[in-house]
Amino acid sequence: MCKHDKSKKHLLFPLLLLLVFLPSNLSAVSAEEIIQKMDELATFETSYSTGSIQTKDRFGTKTSTFNAWSQGESDSLIEFTSTAERGQKILRTKGSLYLFYPDAEELIRLQGAALRQSMLGSDISYEDMTEEKNTLDNYKAVLEGTEAFKDTMCYVITLTATTRSVAYPVQKLWIDTENYLVWKAQYSTAQGRLLKEMEVLSTLEAGGRVIASETRIEDKMKRDSHTYMRLDSLEVNPVLDKKIFTLENLTW
Amino acid sequence: MKFIITLAFKNLSRYKRRTSITAVAIAVGLMMYLLVDSILIGAENESMRNLRWYETASARIHAPSYWEDRMLFPMESSIENPDAVLALLDENGWKATARTVFTADMILYSEDFGEDGNMNVLVTAIDPETDNDVFHFSDTLIDGRFLEKGDENGILIGSWFAEDINAKVGYWITLVARGNGGFYEAMDMQIVGILNCPNPNVNRTLLMMDKDTAGYYLGMNQAVTEIDVLLPEHEDIDVEMAKIQAKIEASHLDLEVHSWKELAKDYLAIAEAKRGGTSMILFLVFIIAAVGISNTMLMAMYERTRELGMMRAMGMSDNNIRLAFLIEAGGIGFIGAVFGIVLGLLANLYMVNVGIDFGWMMRDLDMGYRIQSVFRGAWSMSSFIEAFVAGIGLSMIVAWIPISRALKMDIPSCLRHQ
Amino acid sequence: MTTKLPRLAFRNIFRNLRRSILSAVAISVSALSIVMLFGLLDGMEIDMANNLQSYYTGEVRIRNVDYEKYERYNPLHLGVDWEAIAPILMDNPSVESATARISFPANMYIGENSQVVMGVGADFSTEEAFIDFPAILKEGRLPEQGKNEMLIGSAMARELNLSIGDKVTMLTTTAARGSNAITLQVVGIATFPVGSLNTNMFWAPLDRMQYFLRMEGLSQEILVLLKDGAKESLVAQEIHDEISQSLGIETDTRSWKDLNIMYSMLRIMKVAYYFVAIFFFLLGSTVIINTTMMVIFERMREIGTLSALGMQGSELTKLFLLEGFFISVIGSGVGVIIGMIGNYYLSKVGINFTDAMSGIDLEVSSIFYPQVNILKSFFIWLYAVVISSLATFIPSRRASKIEPVEALRYV
Repeated sequence: MCKHDKSKKHLLFPLLLLLVFLPSNLSAVSAEEIIQKMDELATFETSYSTGSIQTKDRFGTKTSTFNAWSQGESDSLIEFTSTAERGQKILRTKGSLYLFYPDAEELIRLQGAALRQSMLGSDISYEDMTEEKNTLDNYKAVLEGTEAFKDTMCYVITLTATTRSVAYPVQKLWIDTENYLVWKAQYSTAQGRLLKEMEVLSTLEAGGRVIASETRIEDKMKRDSHTYMRLDSLEVNPVLDKKIFTLENLTW
Repeated sequence: MKFIITLAFKNLSRYKRRTSITAVAIAVGLMMYLLVDSILIGAENESMRNLRWYETASARIHAPSYWEDRMLFPMESSIENPDAVLALLDENGWKATARTVFTADMILYSEDFGEDGNMNVLVTAIDPETDNDVFHFSDTLIDGRFLEKGDENGILIGSWFAEDINAKVGYWITLVARGNGGFYEAMDMQIVGILNCPNPNVNRTLLMMDKDTAGYYLGMNQAVTEIDVLLPEHEDIDVEMAKIQAKIEASHLDLEVHSWKELAKDYLAIAEAKRGGTSMILFLVFIIAAVGISNTMLMAMYERTRELGMMRAMGMSDNNIRLAFLIEAGGIGFIGAVFGIVLGLLANLYMVNVGIDFGWMMRDLDMGYRIQSVFRGAWSMSSFIEAFVAGIGLSMIVAWIPISRALKMDIPSCLRHQ
Repeated sequence: MTTKLPRLAFRNIFRNLRRSILSAVAISVSALSIVMLFGLLDGMEIDMANNLQSYYTGEVRIRNVDYEKYERYNPLHLGVDWEAIAPILMDNPSVESATARISFPANMYIGENSQVVMGVGADFSTEEAFIDFPAILKEGRLPEQGKNEMLIGSAMARELNLSIGDKVTMLTTTAARGSNAITLQVVGIATFPVGSLNTNMFWAPLDRMQYFLRMEGLSQEILVLLKDGAKESLVAQEIHDEISQSLGIETDTRSWKDLNIMYSMLRIMKVAYYFVAIFFFLLGSTVIINTTMMVIFERMREIGTLSALGMQGSELTKLFLLEGFFISVIGSGVGVIIGMIGNYYLSKVGINFTDAMSGIDLEVSSIFYPQVNILKSFFIWLYAVVISSLATFIPSRRASKIEPVEALRYV
């Protein structure tokens, strides 16, 4: 971890729906502007975080803990620290996803349909992690109005997919009118069938931004199935070694 | 020469009882051989046929990139213009149907199933109007109704699968699948029929819905993942395959054809191993039949030593005598073989069309499933020809031995022979 | 006169030895074929049962009580405690041997391609009683405890182009319901007698698989073989009760016969083969009947002479019956004995269809071992005797009724 990369890059935060916003003025009113802001504000140079994923399914509850590093728009690395998967790593670089397992002598590269598999049996798929944050390229946004969500005023925006290559044809987002945090999101099929629901339970402040620290993701098609994502710490713009995100380095 | 033939035929009708007993031995032997052969071939054909009727069809056409990823059922590698391919096949006299196969998460609800649940399933979307030209699913319906063209919510389920998850006609399920491109789609489907497919592999996993409905939900735009082709059973599959491939290439379609043999390689390997046992059984049947035939023939000829001696005493040449007796033996063989073939034909007609239902034997067998319980035979032209030739040939060869022995004896011993 | 009948009948056999031999040969070939058929069928059945027991179920199979309910989700966390159960099994007097296995689906990565295969974690020392590894091992050796090694089927090796020393990475879902991958080296290639085992299964040491799948000390199932004569379902119940008493856990412990559709399939196979056997009996019977009838009809003159000499109809019938009986006892006895010897020989050597199938690119072992069954052989002997005696009855009764003059005229 030596050099500080000065180039301004968009960070795609590795774990799904943790969208980060800077406080901003309330002048943005069109749906496109709100979404653009939401995407724009998901901007980090680098980050380091620790947290856990708690998954509940028909067999009970299990918790995995992780450390995660990210850099720029596309690079991220997650290392699991919980006993059951200690040492396993997931590396995402531009366009590819690699899995590293301590007992395997080669990396497993996931692509295509294999990315649709669930990560650690949770309601999050590998694909959810690799989702590009260019929302407006793939979705048409319509501002439905404003609505209070847990005492917070939110814009309610419906996103309708303009391409078939995204997982969720319809998304409904509740975005904080002040800090652009997505408090709640509903993911549906084109026919409006609710598939997944995300809700932010608590927030934390880091680097002057309000971000979700505890999120619940529910698979609405399965009863008693949900995933809690918890962020214990987040370091914004730490100095990271660029080599972290290389294949050679994955095997340390 | 004419005399010898007349003599031989006269002898045939003179010793009616002897002729008929020997002929019966031959006829029964041949018939039994034909029947056992028919049952064994029938059993094997049946499993092969079940494979083609319910799983692979005769041949399958895919987009070129599909084969490599076939285990993942990639929707993206689809046939864009199935109608053109179907028209091309139809022009050339091949029956074919288009299908879309996709994986889905099947959601079960406690309201119907008593418990919530979900599982990964494979769904086959068919064209209800043409699927039966190639496959035979509509014959296996045991409850409810078959799919209709454009059936919006109807889904069919295999009976073993239905038992496993406790599904009944009228129950609702939801299929969550990824459409062409990767988007999520959910389809609420109602079980409208239960199929008892004789192919256990299929019966355990089968889910079937309408192709147009699936195509609409999954954004297929008329595309399908496969086109299944039926080839006449008597044609050489490899020749036909080459023809199809040639036609496809001539029409500048970028598609691949795979035969059912490629599609079901593992299965065929096991069937091949089983064949060893059946050939052994067939061999044993042949042995008994051959012994039966040769025994009666031997006896029939030995008993005629005196007559043979008489003919020699009267100055008939050895060669002529031999010929007369051989023709007689061949005549008996012919009569027996004809009867054997006719009996075999009749018995086989029954075996092929009706079969032996051994379901009653299964009653105490706690299977829980109504498995195919009828044995059916199969037609095998070559077996009939083999049996016919063997019947006549064996009779003549066997007759040779006692005739030659008698011809070597001196005439008085022949005449004294008991 | 009556007392002399058996002796007369016996002498008649030798008076026309050739006829008697022909008749006896017909009977004995029929009996021999049927004995051999039964031997073959029994051999096939035992072969199938053995494969089922060796590779799938044992004679008694122990699983977690909830495993079957969730089987389609591959619930490895629903394991059984092998280390705790093993001593209980060893204390049971009916138990011959037991082994622990973990079967799981895995994705095998070779280069850019992946393939779904079945993995088996097995303790090769306890597997000895179940699978004759030295006999099926074609190349290399068995994987060793504590090493990331595996044994694969020969068809799999050929299709995926794997040879000894190659390393392959497997990805699967663990008992902790997370994913895990491990690299295993091919150290052995074996030819399994069942097609699917040969094409998509790999065998690796139990301890490494327990570690890999996060199920230390546990196994997915325990297979048990019993001592000869033990009643499977009773012992299964016994084992179940012993485990629940001493460990306080409920298990799904069942005999292989109660277990699965495969045993039912086996029984269907059996029914199918017994149908073939019925045809054998029918065919054998016609051969016997035909030959015997022929013999009697050819002896009309003799019958005429005997009745002209004053022998009565019932005595004539008896005489021929006795003669037929003696011939069939000898013929059928010889046939059955030769059949049994043949079966015994084949049960040692096996009928090898591999040569017949050498043109086909197939490595399924195709050796059947026919079985000797004394009870069935005796039954077949009895059947042949009864059928041929009955067959004598019809023509000899007819012969006894015709007038001596007519019988004498008979050609």
